[in-house]
Amino acid sequence: MKKHGYGIGSMWYGIGSTAATNPSGAFVDFLDDGTAIVLSGCAEIGQGSTTVLAQIAAETLGVDLEDVAVITADTGVTPDAGPSSASRQTYISGNAVRLAAEKAREQVVAKAAELLDLDPVDIRLRHGQVWYEAEPTGRTIKDIIAQCRGEGILTLGHGSFNPVTTNLDPATGQGTPYATYAFATQIAEVDVDTETGIVEVKKIVAAHDVGTAVNPQNVEGQIEGGCSMGIGYALLEEVAVKDGKIQNPGLSSYLIPTALDMPEIFPVIVEATEPSGPYGAKGVGEPALVPTAAAIANAVADALGIRLYDLPLTPERVVAEIKALDSLKPE
Amino acid sequence: MSETSIVGKTVLRVDGPAKVRGESRYGADIDIPGALFLKVLRSEVPHGLVKRIDAAEALKIPGVVRVFTHADVPGENSYGIIVKDQPALTDKVRFRGDALALVAAETDVAAKRALEVIKVEIEELPPLYDVWAAMDEKAPEIHAKGNILTVSRVKKGDVDAALETAAVVVSRRYTTQRVEHCYIETEAGVAYMDDDTLVIKAGTQNPHYDRRDVSRVLGLPINRVRIVQSATGGGFGGKLDISVQCFLGLAALKLGRPVRIVYDRRESIIATGKRHPFFVEYTSAATKEGKLLAVKAKIVGDTGAYASYGPATLNRAAVHATGPYEVLNVDIKALCVYTNNPFSGAMRGFGTPQMAFVAESQMDLLAQALQLSPLEIRRRNVLRPGSLTATGQRLDKSVGIGATLEAAWEKACQVMPGLGGEAR
Repeated sequence: MKKHGYGIGSMWYGIGSTAATNPSGAFVDFLDDGTAIVLSGCAEIGQGSTTVLAQIAAETLGVDLEDVAVITADTGVTPDAGPSSASRQTYISGNAVRLAAEKAREQVVAKAAELLDLDPVDIRLRHGQVWYEAEPTGRTIKDIIAQCRGEGILTLGHGSFNPVTTNLDPATGQGTPYATYAFATQIAEVDVDTETGIVEVKKIVAAHDVGTAVNPQNVEGQIEGGCSMGIGYALLEEVAVKDGKIQNPGLSSYLIPTALDMPEIFPVIVEATEPSGPYGAKGVGEPALVPTAAAIANAVADALGIRLYDLPLTPERVVAEIKALDSLKPE
Repeated sequence: MSETSIVGKTVLRVDGPAKVRGESRYGADIDIPGALFLKVLRSEVPHGLVKRIDAAEALKIPGVVRVFTHADVPGENSYGIIVKDQPALTDKVRFRGDALALVAAETDVAAKRALEVIKVEIEELPPLYDVWAAMDEKAPEIHAKGNILTVSRVKKGDVDAALETAAVVVSRRYTTQRVEHCYIETEAGVAYMDDDTLVIKAGTQNPHYDRRDVSRVLGLPINRVRIVQSATGGGFGGKLDISVQCFLGLAALKLGRPVRIVYDRRESIIATGKRHPFFVEYTSAATKEGKLLAVKAKIVGDTGAYASYGPATLNRAAVHATGPYEVLNVDIKALCVYTNNPFSGAMRGFGTPQMAFVAESQMDLLAQALQLSPLEIRRRNVLRPGSLTATGQRLDKSVGIGATLEAAWEKACQVMPGLGGEAR
C-alpha cells in the first residue's frame, strides 16, 4: 500500500565562517576602451560565483556584463578571497568587488564631473555612458578613461571586505558569529510503499530568503541542486564503513540520486534584502540543501504515523519500523 | 535602494558556454608533454607506526623515477585548515587510506606497478572506530593531545528550570550517516617549476589556503608557490582540504620536472573527507501555547583520523542547533572526536543539515504533543526582527524566515492539492 505524506523543514544559516575573520579582496582595472577586468581569488566551483561577481562589477561600473572579464583563483594574480564555502562568496567577495569597482568608478566620475562642469553626485554611469541624473550627457565612459590615461591617471580600484563578527565566549558561546543569515523553508510531498519501504519524493516547494537574488535563475539552479543532494542524504546515501574500511568506494555501490529520482521542485525566492550585502544580497549555496532531509523525514513520519530517528531512511529501515509497529498491534 | 539594471536579472553564466561545449579544462585535462605520473601508496592498516618503507624493488621497474616517503618532506610535514594534524606522507597511520609513499614514473602503468612492490612495515596500534570508545579516558591516543578535539558550547538562560515549568518536553536520540560529496570530477592536477616558482594547477575551493599549506609542507616562501585553480566541477566542501596539492608540489620541486596526478573514483572516496556522522541527544520543551521554552542537546561528531573542518562543523552545529527559532533557554554541547575512521570534514552545510533533521523532527513532535499543526508551531516560534539567537545576537534586518514559511505554504497549497490547507 502507498501512503502519502507532507513535511516541513525550516532552517537558518549564518553566512561566512563562524565567529572568525574571513575577508576577501578584489582588484578592478577600468580600461581605456571602457571594459574592465576584475581580479578575485574566489574559486568558481560550478555554483555561479564568477557570474555574480561580473554582475556586481558591471552594475557598479555602469558597463554591460559583456564588458567585464573576471579572472579568478590564481594566487599569482588574484588577491585572497577566502574559501568558496560557508555560502560566503556572494556576500563577502561580492562586497569586495563592489568596493573595488566603486573606487575605480569614483575616478571616472570625478573626471567626468570636471570635464562637464557638474557636481559628481549627479553623475551616473550606465551602459557605458555618462549620465547627468536621468539624461545621457553624450560622453562615454571610454572617453573619460582615455582622458584619465592621457593625464597619467589609472582608473584602478582595490576593495576588501570582512564581515562584522565577534568571537564566541568559550564557556557560553555568546556573541555574534555571523554578520547575516539566510533562511529557508521547504515542504516535501512523499509516497511511501509500506511493503517495499521505498520512499518516493513527489514534489518539493523550496522558499529561500537569499537577500537580493543577484542572478535569479542561478539561485533556482542552486535550490534544485540542493534538493537533489538532500534527497540523496535523506533516502539513499551512506558511506558504509566496517572496521575503518569503506565498503562502497564506487558509484556502483554508493548510490546517489539520478534524474529518475528527481521530483518536481518549486523554488520560491524570498528577498529580505541585507543592507550590508552587495546590492542587498546574502547567499544560497548551502541553504539549498540544509532543510531537505528534514522536510522529507517529516513527510515520511506524516505518511506512516511512524517516525524514524536515523538517516538515511532506507527501504530496509522503513520496513523494519512498519513491522515493529505491526508486531505490537493485537491480532 | 536605487534600481539596478544587471544585478537581479537572470543572465547567461559566464562560465556556461565553455562548460556545455566541453571546452573547460579540469585538472585531469591539463596535459603537459613529458609530465611524470604520480601515484600514492595508501595504508590498508587503520592505526600504527610506520617502521620501514623499502622501495628498492619499485625503483627497479623501468620508468619509475622516484619514490618519496615522509623522510623526503622538506618543510613541516603537517597541514590542515584549522589544526595542522595531517601529514602529507605519514610515519603514523591513522586510517585505512593514509598516504605512505608517492611514486613518480614515466608512465601510469609503471607507477601502478611500483605501488604493488613497495614494502611497508607497520607496527599496529589498537584501532578506535567508535566515538564513545575514543572518548574513554583509557583509549589510545590517535593524536598527541587526546581524542576529543574540540568542545563547543552554547548556553543561555536556565534550561533545567524551563524544563520544570514546560507543558511538554520531548527527548529523542538521532543518528546521521557518513556521506560522500560525489563531485563531478575527482581530485586531479599538474605541477611544474616556472623559474624558481612552483606552479600547481588543480581543482580546489580555496587556492590561497592551498598556497599556505603547500608552502609550509615544502618549506618554500609563500610567494614562490602559485596555485591556479583548474575548472572545478563541484566541491561541496570536499575540495577545501589539501588533496593532491602537496604530492604535486613535492615531486615537481624535487625532480624539476612537470608532474600530473589523477585520483580514480575509488581513491577519491577513500582518501578525502566525508560528511560527519552525528550522534545527537536532543530535548526540547514548549509551553501549552506552543512557544519554545528550552533546547538542550549533546552532539557528538565523528571527525575520523584528522581534524579537517571538524571543529568548524561541530561549532556551527552547536550555534544552529535550535533551528531558526527564538528560544530563551539553551544548553548545547558539541564534541568533535577523533577515531580511526576515514576523516570527516566540510560538506555543504557544515553540520546544519544534520541538526535541521533533528530540530525539525523535534518541532513536529512538539506540535503533535500539543495538537498544533507543523505550520502553526513554526509560526509561533520563528525568529523575527528584534529576536535574540541562541548566541545572544539580536537580529534586526533581513530576517526572512517567517516570510519563507508563509511563501512555502502558499505555494504548497497551490501545487500540492492533497495538502488540505491550514486545517491540516
